[in-house]
Amino acid sequence: MKESLLEILRCPLDKSELELEDAEYADDGEEVVSGTLVCTECGEEYPIEDGIPNLLPPDMREETPA
Amino acid sequence: MTDSSTTDDATDRSTDGETTRPTNRRSHVREEYGEIAATTDGCCGSSAADATNEPEPTAADDRARSIGYEADDLETAPEGANLGLGCGNPVAISRLEAGKTVLDLGSGGGFDCFLAAREVGPEGRVIGVDMTPEMIDRARGNARESEFENVEFRLGEIEHLPVADGTVDTIISNCVLNLSPEKPRVLAEAFRVLDAGGSLSISDLVATAPLPQEVREDPDAIADCVGDAAQIESLEAWLEDAGFVDVSIVTEDDWSEALPVVSARIEARKPA
Repeated sequence: MKESLLEILRCPLDKSELELEDAEYADDGEEVVSGTLVCTECGEEYPIEDGIPNLLPPDMREETPA
Repeated sequence: MTDSSTTDDATDRSTDGETTRPTNRRSHVREEYGEIAATTDGCCGSSAADATNEPEPTAADDRARSIGYEADDLETAPEGANLGLGCGNPVAISRLEAGKTVLDLGSGGGFDCFLAAREVGPEGRVIGVDMTPEMIDRARGNARESEFENVEFRLGEIEHLPVADGTVDTIISNCVLNLSPEKPRVLAEAFRVLDAGGSLSISDLVATAPLPQEVREDPDAIADCVGDAAQIESLEAWLEDAGFVDVSIVTEDDWSEALPVVSARIEARKPA
């Protein structure tokens, strides 16, 4: 994902803002390849894997294979 | 990290018997579409109307033409983005303008997202949300092959959109709402993320008469997009309850010979 997208991404549970932590960037310096999005309100963590933020609610994510 | 005050929504779902069903249903739908993403074969539409099933990849293109896509559309999107899972062409009807932000609910292989990306241009952006990891992987692979830099995909549920209030100009969706066990909630979320004056322009299957209970409860009929197709009156009421105005549901072709299910264009607007 592009870091600029953060401005409109929100926690799916309480719609609060997300903070990007432990970000690793692609060579172009814009694309976030991996990292964690952390809700500024509830603290729920959403992983970014292979550039794709997983913003499924936690109860859905647990049953997601790999 | 599971603080009850903040995840009450998730907790409700696992404790309340009435609401455990949506979770099971979602799992079934996600498994079905995960498999489709992995195999290219279409599903939605090869359903009750056509028991022969499993269209070829080119059949997906034929299907796309039959439901309103232009040949040019098929060339715009990267190969493999059109999985033949739609039931209409929402982009053609949503009058997208350059620079706008578009959200695709249930973006699948990303076909409609790429067409939308062409319309909104480099100043606009298109976000696809899908709950199936295999579909998102596939869409992302397609995005890499395409020339579009204004398309992003994320894993998420359309009942819990991970998108800020009032940030989207147009919501598109193709043959997805019928799959949701919580349609009023999806429409309320759509309303929330739309900017004032923003529009919803989706294609979906709708029921013109009540469906038999055995169809409504059949997980495969649901995954085939017919089992839980909403009745038109219900959809109108949910849209209005969510706050939408200028609600228009125009039915198009019959979808199934066996069931009172038709494809429809569903349009509505958030008041300016």
